Amino acid sequence: MQKQVDRNKSNKEIQTLSNSELFTLTYGALVTQLCKDYENDEEVNKQLDKMGYNIGVRLIEDFLARSTIGRCQDFRETADVIAKVAFKMYLGITPSVTNWSPAGDEFSLILENNPLVDFVELPDNHSTLIYSNLLCGVLRGALEMVQMAVDVKFVQDTLRGDNVTEIRMKFIKRIEENLPFALHRIC
Amino acid sequence: MADEAPFQLLHSELIHYIYQSEHGADTDNARNITKLEAMGFRVGQGLMERLTKDTARFKDELDVMKFICKDFWTCVFKKQIDNLRTNHQGIYVLQDNKFRLLGSLSAGKQYLEHAPKFLAFSCGLVRGALCSLGVRSIVTAEAAVMPACKFQVMIQKS
Amino acid sequence: MAVCIAVIAKENYPLYIRSVPTQNELKFHYTVHTSLDVVEEKISAVGKSIGDQRELYLGLLYPTEDYKVYGYVTNSKVKFVIVVDSSNTSLRDNEIRSMFRKLHNSFTDVMCNPFHNPGDPIQSKAFDGIVSGMMVQSS
Repeated sequence: MQKQVDRNKSNKEIQTLSNSELFTLTYGALVTQLCKDYENDEEVNKQLDKMGYNIGVRLIEDFLARSTIGRCQDFRETADVIAKVAFKMYLGITPSVTNWSPAGDEFSLILENNPLVDFVELPDNHSTLIYSNLLCGVLRGALEMVQMAVDVKFVQDTLRGDNVTEIRMKFIKRIEENLPFALHRIC
Repeated sequence: MADEAPFQLLHSELIHYIYQSEHGADTDNARNITKLEAMGFRVGQGLMERLTKDTARFKDELDVMKFICKDFWTCVFKKQIDNLRTNHQGIYVLQDNKFRLLGSLSAGKQYLEHAPKFLAFSCGLVRGALCSLGVRSIVTAEAAVMPACKFQVMIQKS
Repeated sequence: MAVCIAVIAKENYPLYIRSVPTQNELKFHYTVHTSLDVVEEKISAVGKSIGDQRELYLGLLYPTEDYKVYGYVTNSKVKFVIVVDSSNTSLRDNEIRSMFRKLHNSFTDVMCNPFHNPGDPIQSKAFDGIVSGMMVQSS
């Protein structure tokens, strides 16, 4: 039988496979810790968003350095970059971009599968927990660093029985860059 | 997910949260370390359950330690352990010359005092992984010369 | 198809046990419990002899007049026990193996659910579903 060789055979497999599992499991440990620390789901959702924001403002540097993507022309281009480059790079999935508002300032990201919830079964007493809310914070934080204020929220979630996971993104405004003081040499 | 930036950032955010939140006062270092370690423990347990799903049964403690140093380390820290030593009485020292989760700390001496909080989660990971395979232990770590790091595993005989 | 499926913790207490409702539940508990000694015996032989058993699947633990009892132990020392009717002669070893694999895969997912505390009884709809698919459908 071939059982003896199994241990080394799967080494490569293990590496690629577990990269996302380490992230998924660590994220799970964070969420359950927050559930212990806070009284209600709303507080946990808020905290996840906040932590996501902190991650987003730093992740964008890594993203810009790696992807060699320049400034986006409009919100549509931003949406494509988020779905096809950023999600692909960091979560290994490519959500579809749909449901544009007529004004072109709002769209949805549809995630067929969400690696963050791979093994999660929500207990009944956490019916209002937005488990993956970190993602909203990440998107908000990252876009803020490229001068875009956006509103991000989950509108559907497979964890709560929906068929797909849907993140709704709304453009709010362009953030003016603070120009540095112009200093002149006087002596 | 081919990229490790998300995990690195999540890990530092985890530490930041534990040290900032009102639930763990800043001064209470020992308690914060314990919390981080416990989170790592749970992750290590789950991860090991998956990693060993298709492997043959382990022969003995040494067999388990080798698996930790090779497969587990590669999966979590992207490289194998550089050096494994034992006193043959239940103490193992695992040395990693370029530890992944210390890379973000500068090599300067002034950051050494912060090393424990960057290592607590990882100590938990290793203890959880070992526990999953039925080996009870105490895991500590020290970073004397960054980014090299030594993990000491003390096996607890029941 | 099984008449009883059980998951037993490393410390030998049940994490999950399900049997076909028409039959005597207590008897199955007893059968499962008895089988643990055989499991223990089989895995303690690992590393001690040349022809040692390093596969997770332990095969037939023992047959009784009415049932055949099969065992499997994960590397985390959690035991799976599947009991099938002796009259069911069409079941092959391969099918039993694949039932254990499915059980193990699903169990691993349960262990990775952050809301599950390892060592607690298994409460999972996904796991229930997998087990249901393997049980004899009582008509």
